[in-house]
Formats: sequence, C-alpha cells, structure tokens
Amino acid sequence: MTPNQTELLQGTLDLLILNALTTTPLHGLGVARRIEAVTNGTFRVKPGSLFPALHRMEEEGWLSAYWGESENNRRAKYYQLTRAGRRHLEKETERWGRISLAIARALEARG
Amino acid sequence: MPVWHRIRSMARNVFARERVERELDVEVRGYSAMLEEEKMARGMKPNEARRAARIESEGTEQIKEQVRSSRGGKTLEILWQDLRYAVRMLRRNPGFAVVAIVTLALGIGANTAIFSLVNGVLLRPLPYRDPGKLTIIWEQDDKGKPDNVGYATYLDWKSQNKSFEDLAVYSSWQPILQTGEPEQLNGLRVTSNYFRMLGIHPELGRDFLPEEDNPASRNVVLLSHALWERRFNSDPNIVGKAIAMSASSYVVAGVLPASYQSLMNQDPRGGTVEIWRVLGYDVTLPFACRTCHHLVAVGRVKAGVSFAQEKAEMDTISAALMKAYPKEYSAAGVILTPLREKLLGDARTPLFILFGAVSLVLLVACANLANLLLARSTNRQREIAVRTALGASRGRIVRQLLAENCLLAFLGAAVGLIPAYLTPRVLAAVGTGGLPRLEGVQMDWRVLVFTAAAALLTGILSGLAPSFRLSKTDVHESLKEGARGSASGASRRLRGMLVVSEVALSLTLLIGAGLLLRSLAQLLNVSPGFDAGHVLTLRTSVLGQRYNDNNVLRQYFKDAVERLRVLPGVQSAAAASQIPLGGNMDEYGFHPEGKMNANPELDESAERYCITSGFLATMRIPLLRGRDIEPSDSLTSPGVILISATTAKQIWPNEDALGKRVKIGVLDHPWLTVVGIVGDVHHVGLDSTPNMQMYIPHAQYPFPDTDMTFVVRSSGPPRAIASAAGQAIHSLDATQPLSRVMPLEDYVALSVQGRRFALILIGAFASIALLLSIVGIYGVTAYSVAQRTREIGIRVALGAQRIEVLTLILRQGFVLILAGVVLGVAASVGLTRFLASMLFNVSATDPFTFALVIMLLVVAALLACWIPARRAMRVDPMVALRHE
Repeated sequence: MTPNQTELLQGTLDLLILNALTTTPLHGLGVARRIEAVTNGTFRVKPGSLFPALHRMEEEGWLSAYWGESENNRRAKYYQLTRAGRRHLEKETERWGRISLAIARALEARG
Repeated sequence: MPVWHRIRSMARNVFARERVERELDVEVRGYSAMLEEEKMARGMKPNEARRAARIESEGTEQIKEQVRSSRGGKTLEILWQDLRYAVRMLRRNPGFAVVAIVTLALGIGANTAIFSLVNGVLLRPLPYRDPGKLTIIWEQDDKGKPDNVGYATYLDWKSQNKSFEDLAVYSSWQPILQTGEPEQLNGLRVTSNYFRMLGIHPELGRDFLPEEDNPASRNVVLLSHALWERRFNSDPNIVGKAIAMSASSYVVAGVLPASYQSLMNQDPRGGTVEIWRVLGYDVTLPFACRTCHHLVAVGRVKAGVSFAQEKAEMDTISAALMKAYPKEYSAAGVILTPLREKLLGDARTPLFILFGAVSLVLLVACANLANLLLARSTNRQREIAVRTALGASRGRIVRQLLAENCLLAFLGAAVGLIPAYLTPRVLAAVGTGGLPRLEGVQMDWRVLVFTAAAALLTGILSGLAPSFRLSKTDVHESLKEGARGSASGASRRLRGMLVVSEVALSLTLLIGAGLLLRSLAQLLNVSPGFDAGHVLTLRTSVLGQRYNDNNVLRQYFKDAVERLRVLPGVQSAAAASQIPLGGNMDEYGFHPEGKMNANPELDESAERYCITSGFLATMRIPLLRGRDIEPSDSLTSPGVILISATTAKQIWPNEDALGKRVKIGVLDHPWLTVVGIVGDVHHVGLDSTPNMQMYIPHAQYPFPDTDMTFVVRSSGPPRAIASAAGQAIHSLDATQPLSRVMPLEDYVALSVQGRRFALILIGAFASIALLLSIVGIYGVTAYSVAQRTREIGIRVALGAQRIEVLTLILRQGFVLILAGVVLGVAASVGLTRFLASMLFNVSATDPFTFALVIMLLVVAALLACWIPARRAMRVDPMVALRHE
C-alpha cells in the first residue's frame, strides 16, 4: 500500500490517538488525519486498526464519545479525552520518552 | 475506574447489542462517506472518489468485524452466537444431526458407563478415616505366600511393634439369626478396637468396649444399617436388646451408619457383611494358638513411618518369634499389603482393560463423526466462502465449526447418559463376578464431569480436521456460479485415512473380544471333575442344643439324606462340608505315615471334604481305584479316607497309595487308611490346576461338620425339586435354616462370571465399533460413487462392462479395508498382551482367532462397499451424462 507505511505497535497507536485528541474532540477520520499531519505522513492509520483502538480505549474509560455533526452536516461519532485518558497519556508519554532515549543512546553507542 | 467501565461496556455489548451494532454501522459508513467527500473536495469525480474511498477503507464489514472482536465480553458473545447458529444448522439437517448424535451417544455413552464403573469401584475413596495408612499384615509361609495370623502371634505383634498406631484382627463369622425365619448371616468377629481404628462410629448406640473383648462377655454385636432395617424394622430402641442367634443370646451394642459398607470378606456367592461380633479371645483358648491361622490383621501406620520401616520392624519381630517357637512357624517374615490393594487390587486390571477398550470405541466414534463432517463440508464450502467474503477471519470460522461439533457432542453426551444411568441395573443383570463396591456405581459429579470432558474432547477432536479443511476454502472458486461441490484430493485422502483407522480400531476390539470368547469356550470345555447337570444344592448350618451330641448330628444328616434320596424324581443324594467351586477354603494338614516333616507345619495341606456316603455317585466324581465310602464306615469300624489322584501322585509318586495311612489336621488323632483314589475336581476355579484333595466320612470323623451342603441329583431340572427337597429336610427338623438353594451348575457359572462379564462388555464394544466402521465405509463408498456418477456414465458409454465398474468401486474400498486390517493386526499384536491375564489356554496372538476375526471384518466391510458399488454398476449412461 503506501510506501512509508509503518507497522504500528499497539501501544504506539494508543499514544498517537490520545495525543491527537489532547486539544479538541475529533471523529474517526479526523483522528486519522491529525495523526498523519503531526507525523508528516509517516503514520497512516488504517480504519481496520483505528476503530478497534478507539472502541477499546472507550471501553477502558480513557475516551468518551458523543454524537455530533461533521463539517458536511453528517452524523459522526466524536471522541474526547477523559480525565483517566489524560493521566494515561501523561504516563505513556513519560514512558515513551524513557524508551526512545534509551534506544537513541543504544544506537549512538554503536558508533 | 477502568474495571467498572469494562463491566458496563461488556453489559452494553451483550444486552444492547442492536443499538451498539447500529451505531457502529453509522460510524463506519460515515467514515467512508467522509473519505469520499474529502476526495471529491480535492477534485475527484464522484465515481472515482467512491472507488478510491472503498479501496482505502478496506471494506466496512471487515472493519466492523475487527471492532467487534476487540470489544470486551467478546468471547462469550461469540460463543453464544456460534451456538445459536449451530442449533440452526442442525435443525436444517435433521438427518445428519440424528446420525451424528447417535454415533456420539454410542461412543460417549459406553465411556460414561464404564467410567461410572471405574469411579464407583476404584476412584471413590475407601470409607475409612485416612485409608492410605491402613495395611493388612500377613504371616509369610514357607513358600513365600501370605497367610492369616494366629491370635498369639497377633498379641506379640501388637505389644512389640512401634510402627503402628494400632493393630486389629478379624475373622469371618456366619451366625444364624433366629428371630422369625431362620437366616444365615454374613458377619465378622473383630477385636474391640477394630472400628475405632478404621474411623467408623456407630450411628446408634456405642462401639465395642475393650472389657467386652474376652471369652466371658463376648456376646455383643453391632448391626449394619441394612440389617437393622430389614430384620428389625429400624427399631429405634434396638440398643441394649437381646437377639437370638445360633442358639445363644447376643446384646445389640449399636447400629453402624448406612454409608458404611463393609469391604472385607468379598464372596460373590454370599452377601455383604451385615453383623459384627466382638472377637473375645484369650490365649488360653485352643484356637488362639500360633498355628491357628484364621485371623486377618489390619494395622494403622503411625504418621511419618515409611513402608520400608514398618516392614523391617515387623520382619525383625517375626524372626524373633520364629527363633522362640521354631515348631510353630514355617518361615519368618511378614507380607504387608496396603488395604486399598487388598480390597481393590483384583478389580483394577479388568477395569483398566475395559476402560482401554471403551476408549477405542470413542476414537472410532470420533473418526466416524469426522468422516460425516468431511462429507458435509463439501456442501458447505459455499456457505463458508460467503462468510469469509463478509469479513469472517479463518480463526472465527474454525471456532464456529468447532462450536457446532461441541454442540453435537453435548447432545450426544446427553443421550449417552442414559446407558450410564442404566449401568447399575445392567451390572446386576449380567453379574460381574465379584467386583467390590458395586453399590457405589451411580451418577455422581465425577461421572458428569467426565462425560462433559469426553464430549468436549470428542467435539474438538472430530471437528478439528474438517474445520481446518473448510476454513481453507478458496473464496473465489467457491463463489463462482454453478461451481458444484467436489471433494478435493486432500479431503478424499483424509476420509480414506479415517476409514482406515476406524477399521484398525474395530479390528483390535474384535480380536480382543474373540480371544476372550475363545478363552471362555476353552474354560467351559474344562471338565470340572464332576457332573454339574441335574444337581440341586442346599446349604445348611445345623442349629440347636441337641446337636451338640455328635451322634445326634451324624444321625440327622444320615436321615436327611435318606429323606432326600426317596423323593420322587431323585436319583441320589448326599451331603458334604463343602462343594467344589463353592468358594470355601477348608484345608487341613496332610500328614502321611513315614513321610512327615520334623516340623509338621511344613507338611502339605489338602482340601478337606467331609462327606456322607453317596457323595461321589451324586456328584459323579469318578472312583479310579479302591472303594467308595460305604454306609458301613462308622465310628466302630477302622478310620478310612479317600484321596484324589493328584494327592496320590504328589505324596506317593512311585508307590501304591492304597492302604497307606495318614493323619489329618492334628497329630493326636487315629490313623486313617487310604481305601480309594478318586478323580481330581476343580475346587478353586476351572482355570487353576486342582490342589490335593481328600474325602473323609461324616459318619466316622471325630468332629463331624455342622455346616453342610446337600447335593441332590434328579432326573429333571433341579429347580423343580427345590421346594420338595426343602420340605423333606424340614419334615425332620423345621427349625433348620436352608440357604443358597440353587443348581450346582450355578456355582460353575458363578466361577466364570468375571470372564463372562469382560467378554460381554468387550464384545458389545467391538460390535458398536464394527457397526460404526461399517457405516463409515458405506458412507465413503456411497459418496465416492455419487461423485463419480458422471465418470462412470462415460466409462459405461465407452463400453466398460458392468462387472468392471463394480470392481473399480470395490477395489477402492478394498484398499482401505486392507490397510485398516494391516494396521489393526499390528495394533492387536501390541495390545492383546494386556489381556493375557484374562486369557485361558489361548495365546494373546492366537492365529486362529486373528484369522477368523479378520475374515468376519473383511466380509462385513466388503458388504458395506457392495451396496453402493451395485448402485454404480446400474448407472444409466444417459442419465449420468444428463446429470450435469
């Protein structure tokens, strides 16, 4: 499919979705487009991964959803961060920071 | 709280499923629509935009399915959905469902029935406190065999050992209950600590007291719950009352709980133990001696003492005793048998063999069901293809198919519970030949768990192969218009393999059944040494003060036999202290003049029959040499004895036994002269070689027996004279109890009942397996004929002879059968040796049995092919070609 398609680890996908929802509630396509925009097109989230993740996180209580209207007056399900979701995002961000730092160091040490 | 969220959404997924589904649909379709709008906004034409959006979103149904499977509570929901779908599928194919359920009911039902037997007999815990610590302790005789213990030895063991918490002894006791109709009861005499040691407490009254355990105060009994109900109307005030038994009076100390079934003293011919009396010995009694081996010792091992430790200690004690009393022991050492082993050891092998056999039946049922499913799978390819196209993943489809199978298996298991429910009744009707604890063979939670597990296993096992085949269905090919279901090569091979294994398994079972059948035939061909036909037996145990006079006793039996002899239709009559195959073990030391050992304990012993004259004639035991016992052999004439051929050969191998003198039992009795040599009889069983035997005249022996069995030879069926015979004896003394009034032939039948039981069951299993395999072979052949109708039509149209078509189909079936036979023979050669202990005069690889069984199976299997093959032969080429 797309050449720069990257296999997303599940935790990474969750992190990206939560991150995309920090400022404003979005519907499914909106989440996908936001992730695409902030990663400069590195991550293209397929609906087959996106929707299961959204529904799963809603069940976990990290997201809540409401029915609203899209830009073209279409009924759409909007997702927003809950307080638990925000806490989870903070925790995950911190963890991710540690991991990426560690990996970066490991790669530097190679040279 | 995340947990709360999860529970709530799970509940929503299950209970508000429709709303959740509707919202999911709107959401996912909205996504596609927005994608489309986005593309149009970028200038794509509506058509192109729709196409691009569809490709990018990869199918709304697939997305929805992925969301569904990521939801909480999904597994449960899917299971529920699968089961509902399975029910629909089965209702649409009632024919398939019935065949499958019957197959499974046979397989699972037979397994449940046998498991309930194994469970009731072997797996249930013994009804004692901490039964693993209970051990039987035997003296070891000079041949290394276990022997009962004498009272004096028991006392020494008890006082000297440190390994056991406690030791107790018991011996059998057959009192005659004299309240109401006289009845001989099965009982035990036990030391006062017996029940305390086992951990059994009376439900009414009290246990035996230590101070009662002596000769002065030993007329105290405990009753079983069943006896209390049966003979005493569950009298709540029974405790302390006196009951009349065997011409004495006994005080009832208590009643044991209904849950307690005595396991000691198992005899298929007698009943269970229903009454216990305190032993009441002391060392001054003549039968409390060291050589009086008639007590069984049970011990409870102390915590932390190992088997090796207790054995070593008991061996040391025994060696010291042997040193102190060299004349009274034939060898030092003890033999320890865990109680469980003693009570259930004999039952284990036959039950495990049955369990092994019945699991083969389950395998055949599995193979058969798998076969049916494969046949059906060809027709379901399309359905599966549609479901795959609609977003079902492969795992999901396999799960669905397995759910269908498990549903089938559970329905089969439900039907299969019927035979298990009937098992106790069937066992009672067939007779098991002395399996203990049959009263516990019933449905309990273990049986139900086993059945459920068997059903689950069957469902998965039989469904796995077909499901994986089906789930690999090629969507594109199957959805093509007009594509007809056709079995792929792989599927055909799989079905062939299943038929081969069915044939192999059935053959193994059939060969097992064949070997058992031949053993039984061989065994029944063994002459017992007497003629059991037309003989009625009645057992009695003489009762009453006046019979304490031995002369009165002797006269009573003489008169009773005379009254029986003159009955119409009676040819001859006699009485004996025991009869062959009667289950008694009455052996006396046999001390021949001039050949005695320095320690007489080491002399051989012989089975002792104390008989009235006429016994040989009535039993038709042949007199080989010398003379029979005559009415003239009396107290005033010299002592005589008859010996069996084996006795003569063993004691006087190169001499003439006639005229030799022996003493039997004790050495202070007068010599008896051998006046006749008679044929051997099988006393223990038809399958064991006869021991030494001797016959002494009741009219002459200083201690005439009071327990005797009358034998009456009639010209007609023996049962017909039963009531006349009873009346004849009661006309002499109406107070005498008569028991086991039955034809002598029944004793012979009882002695082979265990083998008959195994044969009937394994025979039944083999028949079920054969039936299932024949259905399997028929199914595969019929299916292949249906598939090849067109090909056969073309062959016939091109000039093939009918007979060639027939051979074509038969050959195909024959190859499968042959492969099954080869495998089955190999398996049988490996497995039948486990049957060896149940075989008699037949080798475990008896070629005759193998050949016969193979022939039977091949003929039956070919017949199963023949029916569809004949149909193939009659194919009309015109019809077949138009069939397309």
